Formats: sequence, C-alpha cells, structure tokens
Amino acid sequence: MTQVAIGSLSDFPEGTPTRVEADGTALCIVRVGDTVHAICDDCPHAEASLSEGDFLADDMAIECPLHGSAFNLTTGDPDCPPATEAVEVFTVTVDGDSVLVDI
Amino acid sequence: MTIALIAGSGMAGRAAALTLRRVGWTGEIVLVGDDPEYPYERPPLSKSVVVGTADMSKVIKPAPEVYEQERIDLRRGVTVTGADASAKTAELSDGSTVAWDALVIATGCAPRELPIPGLDRPGVHRVTRLDEALEIQAVLATGPKHLAIIGGGFIGMEVAAAAVAAGHTATVLEAAPEPMSRPLGLEVAERVLQWATDRGVVVRAGVGVEQVSGDDIATGVRLVGGEEIDADLVIVAVGQTPRLELARQLGCVEVVGGVQVDAGMRTSVTDVYAVGDIAAFPSTWADEDRIRVEHAAVAIGHGQVAAEQIATGAGLFEDIPSFWSDQGDLTFNVVGVARPDDEIIWRGDQVLPACTAFYLRNGTLRAAFSVGDMKTLRGVRKLFAAGVSPTREQLGDPDVDLAALAAAG
Repeated sequence: MTQVAIGSLSDFPEGTPTRVEADGTALCIVRVGDTVHAICDDCPHAEASLSEGDFLADDMAIECPLHGSAFNLTTGDPDCPPATEAVEVFTVTVDGDSVLVDI
Repeated sequence: MTIALIAGSGMAGRAAALTLRRVGWTGEIVLVGDDPEYPYERPPLSKSVVVGTADMSKVIKPAPEVYEQERIDLRRGVTVTGADASAKTAELSDGSTVAWDALVIATGCAPRELPIPGLDRPGVHRVTRLDEALEIQAVLATGPKHLAIIGGGFIGMEVAAAAVAAGHTATVLEAAPEPMSRPLGLEVAERVLQWATDRGVVVRAGVGVEQVSGDDIATGVRLVGGEEIDADLVIVAVGQTPRLELARQLGCVEVVGGVQVDAGMRTSVTDVYAVGDIAAFPSTWADEDRIRVEHAAVAIGHGQVAAEQIATGAGLFEDIPSFWSDQGDLTFNVVGVARPDDEIIWRGDQVLPACTAFYLRNGTLRAAFSVGDMKTLRGVRKLFAAGVSPTREQLGDPDVDLAALAAAG
C-alpha cells in the first residue's frame, strides 16, 4: 500500500463528487466538511463513473447516475438494486491542506 | 456434512451460492448449471457484449478462482436430470448423485420457440447466453452489418440500439402493434420507441415473420405478405418461458405460471426453494396472490433470501421490484410493477432524456418509469417503502419533493 497525494482540500468542493486518478486507480472523491472520502469510481454493477452521480448528504452516499444504487461512503455498500456488491473504500488522510489516499 | 444443491447457475443461483458463504454457512455447496461458461451477468449480453464494449471482468463474475476459494463445487455444462423429494437425492447429467439437505431450484427460463422455418440456419442468432452474444460480437466486429431482429421487446430493442450506436443498422420486427407497451404502457413505450427511431433504429410493428430467407445461411427474413428484409444476421429475441420440469418432478405447487413460494422462497415441498424467473412470490405488486418477475435485480434478491433461509432460517424477500434497460444512449429505470392499462401521470412537461412517468392503479402509485432523474426515482422508492401514495397533482408537479412526502408519512 502506498499513500498518494491527490491534491489540496480546496481542490474538492464541499459535497461535489470529483474523479481523480491515483496510481492508476480511478477514485471518486467527496469532501464533507473537513473530512474527505474516497471510493472506487467504477460502479460495480455496470459501466458508470460514480463521480458523475449525486452526493446524497442525508445518506452519506454517492448515487450512481445510471441505475440509481447509492453507495455508502464509509462502508461502500449499495442501498438498493440493481447493484449488489460494495465499492472499494479507501482511507484518506488530510495533512494540513494536502489530501492523501492509501492505495 | 450438510449439502445445498443449487440447480441453475444464472443470476439467482449464483447469488444463492455466494450468499451462503457470505453469511458464514459452512456446508457443502454444489452449484449446477447447463451453461458451459463460468456464471456471468446476463443484462450486459444484449447491450455492451454484442457490440464488444463490455469490460468482461464485469460480465463474468466473480472471478473463476472464487469458486474454489469459497468451496463452491461449480459444475458447468451440467443439469439436474431428476430429483426425489422424500429421499432428498438428485441425479445430475454428469452421472453423479447428490444427497441434498436443501435444494434451490434456479432453472430460469428457456427461450420461446417460434414456429418459423429456417431458424436453425447459420446466421440466425440468439442472445440468451454469453456464448451466443459473443458469436454476434464476432460477426459485428468484422464491419458494419445490417441486423434483422425478430422481437421488439427490451432485449431486441437493446441489441438494435447498441448496434446502431456502434455504426451498424438494424430493423426490429415486432408482431404486436405497439412494441414494449405491455411492460411500459403505450404512452411511455411510444416515447422510448421514438428515441430509438430518431437514432436510426427501424422498427416495424404489427408484422409477422414467415421464414428465414437464404439457402445455406440466413440472408434475411421474409415477412407475412412476401416482403423480404435483407440482413447480414438475424437475431431472435421473442421472449422466454419458465423451466418448470424439475419443480414439477418434485411436486411443487404451481401458481401464476411459476413455482409458488413464500417470502422466504420456500416452495410447498420441504427444504426445496425456488428463486428467480420461475418463482411466484408474494408481493404487494401481485394482482393475484403471487407475482412472477423476470428481471435480474429480483433474481439476485431471491437467491440471497433463499441462502439466508438455508443458513439461518430467517430472511424475507421484501424488495421493491425494479429493472432497468440501456438502449443505446438511453437508460431508463422502472421501480414497482407497471401494467399496460395503468393511468399515466407525467412529472411536469418533461421529455426524454430527462423525464418521469408515474403509473397509477385505482388512483394509487404502483410504478415509475424514469430517465435522467435519479432524485425522483429515489423519491418513489421512499414513497413505496413508507406506503405513501401522493395525489395526481403532487406527482405531476416537478417542484414537489417526493422524498419529503414519504418522510411526512
């Protein structure tokens, strides 16, 4: 596992999913306050980029833009069909202003 | 050692096997499927697989080594040829006998047979199995082709739209006067059809196919009345019928064209479960006392519940039925169960590619069709979960927050 710098806090607007490539892995990054979440950007169900979906603040989840399953940012679990598998969740460290992800 | 035998390795059977392990079941799992491939996702076959854009690691999953890791005895190209409910044994086509403690019937559907001469000719394809979809992919990979697609249901329309988006041409031949109107209702089906025809899919509705043309290989089809439709390949997608032979042999009670189960997917026969396309299950969406749904999300949910029941004796299928269809650049989601004679309420004056239609029965919300409006779709799920049915005016007003109505009760 390596820790990869993916940018500074200001690169990630509050509640706006952003796609980032880190060490060859496509991530969907969401900042909520001073906490930054990272999940795999590829929907495990079909071919969709989760960062093109909406952040659901009430559910702390990203909703797939194609078929509507919402993936919890902490557990990676989908809340409803059609997805049945969880997305990978990555550990994020905020060090001062820089955002680091464990890949 | 306790043994779970799963007859059928499609979406429901695979889900049952994987879920047994996920919930910590330690018995022996025998997963038997007539398909020679490792279990795969069926929905992409008619979409990304036929045109070669699929990421195959998302189609054939889990990875083949998982079966060994999870101690799932996957037997490919094998069927259950006979079973005895009292002795709790089953004979398999590989010559073995399995003494099961729990039997999950996940035999799915067989493609419907059409009484048309020439369907066995080279150049006539089906899109039911992965090997068949890959055969179509191989033909389409050699250059622009014209496809004649017999059947204007979701599968036929998906193949047509995907092929046209990939630079091919396609003519869809549908016997019914209004393609897709049975699952979507006429008003909604018309919009979906218009979207496809605007993109170049040719749809001929209300036509009968008399025969496949060509001497050695298919060169097209001849319609009733004599018109010839030339084609490089003919694809047959005319629906499917439940495979009930095994359930019948075991003496399972049947209802609404399938195997009667309770919410725990238990059939009328002790320790025998039925899941997926063949299962007639209790649901608030059932017009009679059970409903049968032939969609992937429901099949997976069934498999999961049967596995939970086997492992823990608990678990009920209570999911809201839903499905999706990707037709070229149009993706729509349907939550609930729509009927062709339902009353349709459109959300405002929205049109494709971002609109929602609500289906009402006796004034009650029963389903929603939605494109490009995830917020509304999510709101509908919440309404169903809360048992709240808004008024026509509320549904028709795009400014009304459906999730808030659900939360208010």
